[in-house]
Amino acid sequence: MSNSTFREPAYVDYKDVELIKRSLNEQGKILPRRITNVSAKFQRQLTTAVKRARHMALIPFVSDSLK
Amino acid sequence: MATTQNTYELTYIVNSVISDEQVKDLISRVTAYISEAGGEIIEVDEWGQRRLAYPIQKKRNGYYVNMYFLSTGTIVPRLERALEIDDNVLRYMTLRMDAKMIRHYEESKTRRAAILAADPTLPSDNDDEDED
Repeated sequence: MSNSTFREPAYVDYKDVELIKRSLNEQGKILPRRITNVSAKFQRQLTTAVKRARHMALIPFVSDSLK
Repeated sequence: MATTQNTYELTYIVNSVISDEQVKDLISRVTAYISEAGGEIIEVDEWGQRRLAYPIQKKRNGYYVNMYFLSTGTIVPRLERALEIDDNVLRYMTLRMDAKMIRHYEESKTRRAAILAADPTLPSDNDDEDED
C-alpha cells in the first residue's frame, strides 16, 4: 500500500476484499494514514468500505489468532 | 408516481444449511418482490457458497447474493423489513448508488466481461469449498 505504484480508485468497493485487506493489519484493524500514505479522501472511503465488508462477513471484526 | 428512481445495490447472505431449492426459491421471491413493487432488476449475481469471516447464528458458511435494481425509494424499507423477518437471511445490505458507484459498477462489469471473453473455459464465478 505504501508503494508508489498503487493507484487510488475513485470508489472503494466493500466487495473488493483484496484491496481492503491490504489496508488492514493482522488483527484486522485499519492501518493509519501515516503508515500507508494514502489521501484523506481514500482513507475516508476505505473506512466506510471496511465497515460494510465487516457487516457482510467478508472480513473479520477481529482476527486475533492467539494460540 | 412522479417520485425519482434510484439504482440500488442489495447484497444478502442466505443460510446455506437449507436445501438448494429453498435457496433458489428465496432468491426468486426477493427478485419477484422487487419487480412486483415496480422495480426494475438490472442484475442478479449469485456469488454462491462462501465461508463467512466470522460465524453468524452459529453458521460458518453462507450463500451470497449480490443484485442491482432500479426503483423508487419507497420499496426499500418494505424489502428490508421482509428480509429482516426471514430467518434464512443472515445479513443484508442495501446501498443507494450514486454516480461514482454506478461508474465503478459499469467498469467492473466490462472488466469481468473482458476476462471472461479472453478465457471462455473459466466459469463465471469460482466456487469455494462446500461444507456445512
